[in-house]
Amino acid sequence: MNWMKKQKLIGYLFILPSLIGVTIFFLFPLLFSFVLSFTNWTGPSGQGTEFVGLQNFQRLVGDSVFHQAFGNNFLYLLHVPISVIFGFIVAVFLNRSVYLKNLLRAVFFLPYLISPIAIGFVWMLLFNPTEGPINVLLMNLGIDNPPGWLASSGSSMYAIIVMSAWQIMGFNIIIYLAALQDVPRELEEAAKMDGAKRWQITKNVIFPFVSPITLFLLIIGIANAFKNFGLIQAVTGGGPANSTNILPLYVYQTAFRYYELGYASTIAIVLFIVIFAITLLQWFGQKKWVHY
Amino acid sequence: MKQNKQINVYKTIMTAVLLAAGFIMIIPFFWMLSTSFKSPNEIFEYPIQWIPSEFDWDPHKRVWFGDLSFFNYYFNSIKIAVLGTAGATFIGAMAAYGFARIPFKGRDFLFLLYLMMMMVPPQVLFVPKFIMFDWTGIYNTHWALILPTIFTIIGVFYMRQFFITIPNEISESAFMDGAGHFRIFFKIFLPLAKPAIATFAILDFSWNWNNYEDALVFLVSEELYTVPLGLDNFVLEFSVDYSGMMAAATASVVPIIIIFLLGQRYIIEGVASSAVKG
Repeated sequence: MNWMKKQKLIGYLFILPSLIGVTIFFLFPLLFSFVLSFTNWTGPSGQGTEFVGLQNFQRLVGDSVFHQAFGNNFLYLLHVPISVIFGFIVAVFLNRSVYLKNLLRAVFFLPYLISPIAIGFVWMLLFNPTEGPINVLLMNLGIDNPPGWLASSGSSMYAIIVMSAWQIMGFNIIIYLAALQDVPRELEEAAKMDGAKRWQITKNVIFPFVSPITLFLLIIGIANAFKNFGLIQAVTGGGPANSTNILPLYVYQTAFRYYELGYASTIAIVLFIVIFAITLLQWFGQKKWVHY
Repeated sequence: MKQNKQINVYKTIMTAVLLAAGFIMIIPFFWMLSTSFKSPNEIFEYPIQWIPSEFDWDPHKRVWFGDLSFFNYYFNSIKIAVLGTAGATFIGAMAAYGFARIPFKGRDFLFLLYLMMMMVPPQVLFVPKFIMFDWTGIYNTHWALILPTIFTIIGVFYMRQFFITIPNEISESAFMDGAGHFRIFFKIFLPLAKPAIATFAILDFSWNWNNYEDALVFLVSEELYTVPLGLDNFVLEFSVDYSGMMAAATASVVPIIIIFLLGQRYIIEGVASSAVKG
């Protein structure tokens, strides 16, 4: 019995290294960041830092760049449903009889693993407004005034949306493919017996069946759209005229370009709350959507 | 017989359609590679010259032997990714075993805490980590990147899910024979979990390799730059050297493409299972 007890205590030993690290590098910084959001901390040493109460939050309300970044972030979300819809279509086709299934799966998945910034620079040249292949192609198709893409504030976010959709689609395909394996054959067969066409089966049998996965992919995509800024920082730096600035990028720039660490923490906390709300949405949504 | 043939026609058409779509997916990679071998006046030629009329190796020479050499970036990235991944795999596997197999007090609460930490956007942690690293002197050293990644949360989560699927009888019979948790972990679980551990290690390595944001925040000295940061720096310095940019981009993606070609099945199945079961 004593030995059994000891073995239970050993459980702590197993998680202890991880727990110490998680406390130092995740838990403590998280709490620290809440504290910082109520201060006017500037520069690394933070000399002369004072608690300023809700001042940072008040400043946020009137900060036009923050408003713009918030709005941009929602526009940026567009790449999520686009990549989910295309991901579903490709997965359904891949799941039917095709040759070279593994090769195709790999080809669609590859962009997901590649460094966003490396591929961002490739897209940056492809989207070059005057000479880039995309606009040259558009001009040859008879579009005389193709968009300036990354160079113009009206179209820059759409170029970013294309890049991001392209990059995360492979993930969606892989997840859908795994989910499609679980669609009961009998269900499809029964629909076929009733004379349903392929696309009808897809629409009325398969799509509802994988709806929890669709929700999962939408939520995870949306949450990530509030977390990643590397691609945008590298390709546009948030410009032109803040047209591609999104919340996580604004946090980074406020903190490490202007060294307003207190105010940056305030923006970060708002970001955290947004992601937290989205995740809660998933938890409750899943309970409603899952139907087996 | 007849029906069989019909199916094959359909199958061929479907394959062709998907191949065309797949080709569009990887066009940017072809374009990157082909541009990296072009001389400046050929880059934007229309129609696109997929195979340059003459292979120009100069862009690659500029990347590897120029003022900002990628050799140094490679060395830094490999060091960080190898140490980070090795640490994360080991510490993550241990914690995963603890969470999966030892019913100690407060376990569920701690696990919930881990789950919540997964939601925290990295940007929330940048500022406090910057201040802490500045205090402790690991700011602008590779440790600023290695240490946090060793204490992986997603790795604990992923490997725990695998450990849970190992039948209870296996560890129980070892327990009866007087083996403690450490023996069971090293002698039974680690060998059994090789595929899951390999999958996590491959994924973690590629995350570390691609990690641009942390390097951007925590590294300032050029000699410490990692590959993504070096690439970024190259583009800033030589913003009109398009073929050089593409050579640099090629240099930064090649290791991941090689890893993907070698470990493709592990990676794809790992990603699929971690997300669907999670």
